[in-house]
Order: sequence, then structure tokens, then C-alpha cells
Amino acid sequence: MRVALFVTCLVDQMWPSVGVSTLEVLRRVGCTVEFDERQTCCGQPAFNTGYSAEARQLAERFIQMCEESEAEAIVSPSGSCTAMVHHYPALFDNAGDAQENHEWRRRARAVAERTFELSSFLVRVLKIDDVGARWPGRVTWHDACHALRDLNVHSEPRRLIGNVREAEFVELDNADSCCGFGGTFSVKYPEISVAILDQKIEAIEKAGVQAVVSGDASCLMQIGGRLSRKGSNVRAMHLAELLASR
Amino acid sequence: MAARESILRSIREHLVASAPHDVVHAEKGDEQSELTLDIGHPNGDRLSASVGVQNDGARSLIEVFGANLEAVGGHCIVARSEAEVIEALNGIIASLQDSPLRGRTIALSNAPLLERLMARVETRVDEIAVSPSAAELFDYDVGISTAQAAIAETGTLMIDSEAERHRLVSLVPPAHIAIVDAANIRLTLGETLATASQGPELSPTITFITGPSRTADIELTLAIGVHGPQELYVVVNEGPPLTNS
Amino acid sequence: MSHLTTETFDSNARAALVDTQLRGALRNATSLFGKRRLAAARGLENWEDLRTQARAIKDDVLLHLDRYLEEFVSNAEQRGAKVHWARDASEANQIVCDLARQQGVRNVVKSKSMVTEEIHLNDALQASGMEVIETDLGEYIIQLAGEAPSHIIVPAIHKTKGQIAELFTAKLGIEPTDDVDKLTSVARNVLRQRFANADLGISGVNFAVAETGTILILENEGNVRLTTSLPKVHIALMGIEKILPRFVDLDVFLKLLPRSGTGQQLTTYQSLITGTKRRPEDEGPEQLHIVLLDNGRSRMLAHPTTRQALACIRCGACLNACPVYQQIGGHAYGSVYPGPIGAVITPQLIGLGKASQLPYASSLCGACREVCPVKIDIPELLLHLRAEITDRKQEQEQAGGRRQEQAGGRRQEQEAGGSFKKRTGERFAFRLFAAVMTRPRTYEFSVKVGRLLQRSIVRRGKIGRVGGMLAQLAPPLGAWTNARDMRPIAESTFREQWRAGLRDDTDPGSDT
Repeated sequence: MRVALFVTCLVDQMWPSVGVSTLEVLRRVGCTVEFDERQTCCGQPAFNTGYSAEARQLAERFIQMCEESEAEAIVSPSGSCTAMVHHYPALFDNAGDAQENHEWRRRARAVAERTFELSSFLVRVLKIDDVGARWPGRVTWHDACHALRDLNVHSEPRRLIGNVREAEFVELDNADSCCGFGGTFSVKYPEISVAILDQKIEAIEKAGVQAVVSGDASCLMQIGGRLSRKGSNVRAMHLAELLASR
Repeated sequence: MAARESILRSIREHLVASAPHDVVHAEKGDEQSELTLDIGHPNGDRLSASVGVQNDGARSLIEVFGANLEAVGGHCIVARSEAEVIEALNGIIASLQDSPLRGRTIALSNAPLLERLMARVETRVDEIAVSPSAAELFDYDVGISTAQAAIAETGTLMIDSEAERHRLVSLVPPAHIAIVDAANIRLTLGETLATASQGPELSPTITFITGPSRTADIELTLAIGVHGPQELYVVVNEGPPLTNS
Repeated sequence: MSHLTTETFDSNARAALVDTQLRGALRNATSLFGKRRLAAARGLENWEDLRTQARAIKDDVLLHLDRYLEEFVSNAEQRGAKVHWARDASEANQIVCDLARQQGVRNVVKSKSMVTEEIHLNDALQASGMEVIETDLGEYIIQLAGEAPSHIIVPAIHKTKGQIAELFTAKLGIEPTDDVDKLTSVARNVLRQRFANADLGISGVNFAVAETGTILILENEGNVRLTTSLPKVHIALMGIEKILPRFVDLDVFLKLLPRSGTGQQLTTYQSLITGTKRRPEDEGPEQLHIVLLDNGRSRMLAHPTTRQALACIRCGACLNACPVYQQIGGHAYGSVYPGPIGAVITPQLIGLGKASQLPYASSLCGACREVCPVKIDIPELLLHLRAEITDRKQEQEQAGGRRQEQAGGRRQEQEAGGSFKKRTGERFAFRLFAAVMTRPRTYEFSVKVGRLLQRSIVRRGKIGRVGGMLAQLAPPLGAWTNARDMRPIAESTFREQWRAGLRDDTDPGSDT
């Protein structure tokens, strides 16, 4: 299958190994992967902070770029950026010309329909839940909120992890509760953000794992940043990195 | 009247302002439901390990009612005749007399049945009063009434102020005993609501009662009998109907 | 009495975070109620259908609110109730105080009602010379303590039994005890005296049925029944959004509300009151007054997104599920409506300018939406309000910015009349962000610049705590690194690696 990779700006700049791993997993399962070098940010930070005009600018740009691609699917190693693309139609609700907005919503929906988060793309679209990965160690999973609640991703990553050879999976007590990141929330209200985060850290420490895995680099920066500050040996690892290991 | 007109006008004006947005929203709603259909409901799945309402068809309404009432701390006694109802009242009052709740003074609602039954209860009590005033009621140990209906799936009594004077008798004394005919037990809340609203006029006060009064306002610790009764006994009469007579 | 305000949300929250006793209590309460809610929802096979149905009923009500209100009023009045309309809090308080005075009322008993807290009715009644007693145990405790409720369902969740015992000892003269049953029994006895002497009972309303003119009130303690049965006058206050069309609709909502609130199948008591008693010798009040309150609600009808908030049935499930509420509790919100639903209702009731922090007090995790029995999309509403706030901030800055700059350059938190935090810095940052992100080459260039700039602060592959001038120059960097390390910009970005060979490398597994 021909796939367009949307790595997200965060992964591009700060966690490129997630992009590299995603690319490798997609190729391993037989996809032909393209990467449009014009891609930047989906606009989520602006949208979530209330700057809808700025978000809309980025959305229009992203939609146009995707329309030029003939890839059957646009795949991203991020639940929240994928969810943002799925929210695009809402950006064209109010401001501006009604007819023009209507047309933008149609185009936005068309792009959203072929945009997938990595684990759900593998499991739901390709029907693959074993990518031939091997990782010796005990791991746990953190459900990133937007993947879980906006995209209904729950069983997919667990099935994929369950098939990683030599990996022992344990469920977190609070797998589906927020890590406290929340985009600009994490720096607008850092004390609340970290208080929420510490409950997640407590559960991870209790689970006695070598790695905490998730599908969003943003959550992993939050969790990993705190683990690192506390001098913990637990590694914050993206699902793509786990699946790429062999 | 100025307030009424201005609120209604504000409602209408704001709804009119909303109309163009409503069109866009409806379009989005359609889209979302298509999307969810497509990819299933993992969140729903997390919820769907259903244990079901406690009604498997094998158990009778009385059993279901009794189990649900006991689950919220009430007591259910099944009687198969008027004699057994009296026997049940006898036992309940005797056991209250052995408890800190005393059970020595009894307030009855104005249902004529109750006086007849109490006349045949053997356990000795200090006083039986029919429908005492609100102020007097604070001094009684036990209130006895009938209930007009019951709901099996929740263990609930329904009392109707048009049928009987029992709003306070069922509430103020620390123990409440209610007699309900088995024929008046419905399975669901929905059926009971439908029945209650069938008459030409809805009764001024209908009260649903599910177990004794409770609170968890102090450190989430359950405390029973905060403002209403601490003990609730329901005598279900399986014999010939008593409460409609 | 020091009640917190919404305007100081950030400092309120910081204060709550260092209150370990509060946080322990919150953790217990929210997790207990969360578990009970889930178990209760699982106990019904058609939970999801019920939610959908409830929302459809509420949507119908809100789209035809004028008609349903008129139907309700006409039916309630036909059965002997007297209905009053109040545009705002002061009108509602005036109505209640006038009624009380006309009846020569001295002693008022109240059952728990959020709407009366919203309008500060107790203050108004006390100012009119009446004694007002809250009779719900939790409300009674915080009234004695002179505090505000911290949770919709458990108002005194922030207090330990030890603190309650001290309070009762000081105010009621009891022997010290930490036995919850004893404390409850003390309250029962004190409040029974109050009930016996009360000449006015005031309650809220959970649902009002248009078809029959019925009001329904749920409770567990029995104080609502006493409040609505004993005094000769009953006044019920309700927001105009509490209407349901048909009597049988109650079935849907009585299944959802207790399960979502406390995890009960049904609360202990439901009082369904339809007008006044028919015969003088019957039990119950002689007069029933129903006060319909707008107080900003009708404004919310103007958009389908904001209108959703009026579907709320005040169950408290979103509070228990919210990671922010779980950490800071209800007081920090500075409003009678806390938590996620409070963060969307309060700004709409009191004005965005006075509550502009609240819509940002969320990580947008969506747990609130998942548990909401009427499917309110709270994150969508939060985003809607955030966008409104930035729009208005912009307007305000354009109008008043110059004047303030001349006044000394120091950022002013508040303008007169309660208004928006001035964050021109943030607006500039997002303009810049959009400008960079719409130009791939500029984006790449800025990544390179960032890589150069970070050199001084990257140690062993990470950025530790950043303080001093740098944190002042880039506040988010300081805020992040205060308790969390940060990943630096990578030595080689993904797109650099793509160009360097990843693009052509189609042999899987050869380059990790």
C-alpha cells in the first residue's frame, strides 16, 4: 500500500528516531512510504490555545498538501496530531464565507478519512497485529488521551505489543488516565500538570517495568522528562520504536 | 410579567441566532456517527461487560424486589396471608424493642387496614396513634404505612399522597414499616412511572423510597438514618390484596 | 469567610496542591465515585443508548425551551403552584425575600441546591433578617464552618471527621468524638429542632416536567422530604434548563443521574411534587412557589456548542473523572460549579472576562466527555471558549494596549471591570508560530537556530532546570524544566535523515 508519512513536527525536531522507526515498520509490512518535505505542524498547539485563525491557516496548508498526494493512507505516529486532522472540519464552522467553509469542511473530511494513527492503521486497515518485533524486557502502556478518546484506539497497541517477542506486558493501574501534558496546559499550569503526571509516574514505578510505551511523543516527553529528572531507569519509548526493534 | 416576557424573548432571540450554526453542527454530527460506525466502539467495549439488571426471568418479582431492597440496607419479609402479615408486624416490633430504636410508640398512617392489623399484634406497645400531627410525630418510635406500589429492579417503594396520609409517618420516626401487596410490584421504574401518570390527575406528591435514609458526607463513611428512618421494613403480602380494601 | 474567586484560579490551585490532606481526600473520593459509577453503568445493558436518548431529549427541550417552559408553567399553576420568573440573581433573591417577608417568615430550612448557591440566596435572606439553615449534612457542616462546597455531591469532602468533630464541639458544644455515626446523630437532632420550627422550606429542582407541571428532587438523607413537607410554604428554585417534556422521560434520567453521581441504582428518595395539596387537612405545605431563573442561561442557547452546557444534570461525574479536579478540588475554581463542567458553565454565567483562566484549566484529555451521562462534549466547549477568549483579548488589546504601554510597560493582570489577562506575548508567539510553520524553509532554519541556541543548556543529551534570565526570556522553558527534563532538538532531524539517505533506503531493518 502506498502510504504518506506524517511524522509531526515534534518527532521531526526532537524525536526523529520515532519517525525512522515508523518508516521502518511501515516498510517492513510492505508499504511504499512517501514523505512530503513541505510538512510542518498540524496546527494543534494554536487550535488548543484558542488561536483558531492560525490553526486554520495550518489546516488549509495541510489539506492542500495531502490532496496532492496519491497515497491511499496518511499515517502518523501520533494520536493527537491524527485527532487534530480529524478535528479540521470544526475549524471551518464559523468565520468567513459560508459556501467557502462548506467546501473546506468537505475537503477536510476527505483528508481526515484517510489519516490514521500508526497502531490503528496496522491493526484496523492492514489487519496486521504482529510486525515481527523482538524486545527483551518488561513493558507497560500509557493510553494517550486523544488516541484513546478521539480515535477509540485501545486494543490495537495492546495487540501489537502482545506479539513482540520476549516482551512481557503489564497493564498500568491508570493506563487510561491523562499524563498531564495537555499541550500549552503543561506550561500554563505546570504545577497541576506535574501533580497529574506524578500519579502516572507512581503507577509506572509500581509496575516495575524497563520501558513505558505510548503512541504519542508529547506524552512521552512529559513522562520521560519526569522520569529523567527523578533519575529513573525506566525508558519512555514510542510504540514505533518498540515495533521496529528486532 | 416583565421578567417572563424578557426571558422568553431572550430564549427565542438566541435560538434564532443559533440557527445557522445548527445547520453546520448537524452536518458534523452525521459525519461523526459515520466515523464511529466505521471503527467500532472500544470505549463502549470497556463498558459492555454487562452484569445486567438483576432479573433473569427465573426469579419472581418478589425475590428481585427483596434482593434489591436488602442490598440497600432495607429488610423484606414475605407473608402469604393476613395472618402472616400480622405475624411479621409482631416480629418486627418485637425486634425493634430489643434494639436502641425502642419500638414502644407506634404511629400509623390513616389507612384503615393498619388499625385492624395492629389490633391483632400481640407484642405490647406503649401507644398506638393514628395519623398524629407533624409536631407530635417527632416523639414516635415507629411509623407504619402501606405503599401503593413497589419497583422490583431497584427495591423501591412508591407512596402516593392521594391514597394515604403517610408522607411524614414514613419519614419522621426512626423506623418505618411498610406493607405492600405483591400484586402492586412492577419490574421497572419505567412501568411504575407510566402507571402513576395514567390517571386523569397526577397526585400532588409521589415519593419513591429505596432503603433507609443514608449519607456519606463525612469522609465518605456511610451513616444510616441521618434525617429519615434508620430502619426500613417492607412486608410483602402475597395473599389476597389488603391495601386496596 | 474567605471565598476564593475565579480570577485567582492559578494561585488557588497552587495553594490546593500543597494541601496534602485535601489531596488525599480528593483521591479517595474521586476514585471511589469513579469506580462506583463504572460498576453502576455496567449494570445496565443499554447504558450507551440511555445516554444518547437523554441527550436527544435535552436537545429537544433546549431547541424549544420557550414552548416547554410555558407548558410547564401553565400545568404547574393549574395545579396550584405559583411560578415566578427571574432574569438574574438579584431578581430571584428579591422574589424569595419578598415572599418570605409577606409570609412573616423567621426560620428557613434549605435542602441542597446549587442554584441557590449560584445566586447567594442565603446572604440575601440573612440580610432580610431571616435565619437560614442548610439541612443536607455536608452543607450544614460547611455552613457551620463558613466555607464553600468543594464537590457537587459531597460538599464537605475537604474536611476530615476530626475537623468536623472540632467544629461541632466548638459550635454545638458536644463532647469530642470521631465516631461518624455519633456526629451524624448530633446533626440529626440539632436539625430536627430547626425543621420543627421552620416556616419556610427552600429546595432546588432536579427535573421539571412540562407535560404535568411536576418538579422532581432527588436525595439520600430525607432532608428534602422534610423541607418540602413540614413548613407551610415551599419555594423551589430552578434554572430554566431543568425542563423535561414528558413524565415518562423521568425514567431515562432517573437511570442516569444516580448511577453517574454516586453509583446508586436510585438515590434513597425521589420527591415528585405536582402543585399543592388538594384538601386543607392533607399533609404538606399550603403554598408552592417555583422560581425560574435565567441568569445567563438563555445566552448559551445561541450556539449548539455552548448550548450543550445546559444539558448538564449536575451529577458530578466529570469532576471525579477530571485529572485536574482530582488534584486541586473544587475551591480553586472559585465558583459554585467546579471541575470541567464548571470550567465551561462559570465563564458563560459570570462572563469570560472574569473567568478567563477556567477554560484553560484542562489538559483536554476528554475523560469528562466519556463519563458525561448526557454526552456533553466538554473539550469542544473548552476549545470554543478559548477561541472566544483570544478573540476578545485581541479586541481589547487593540483598544487599550497603547494606553497601557504608556502607563509603564509592566503587564497588568486585570483591567477595570474584570477582563482578560493581557498576553500580547502569547498572541505574538502564535502569529510567529503560524508564520514559521507555513514556510518549510523558515521552519528548517528556525530548527537550526534552535539547535545553536540550546548548546549552552544541553547537558548529557537533555535540558535540565532552566532558571534566571533565560527562563524570563522564555517562560514556557522555565515552566517546563522546573520539574521535568526536556529533550533537546535532535542533532539531525527526521527530514535531514530522510534527505541523507532514508528516502532511498528501502531495505527494512537496516538503519536503527
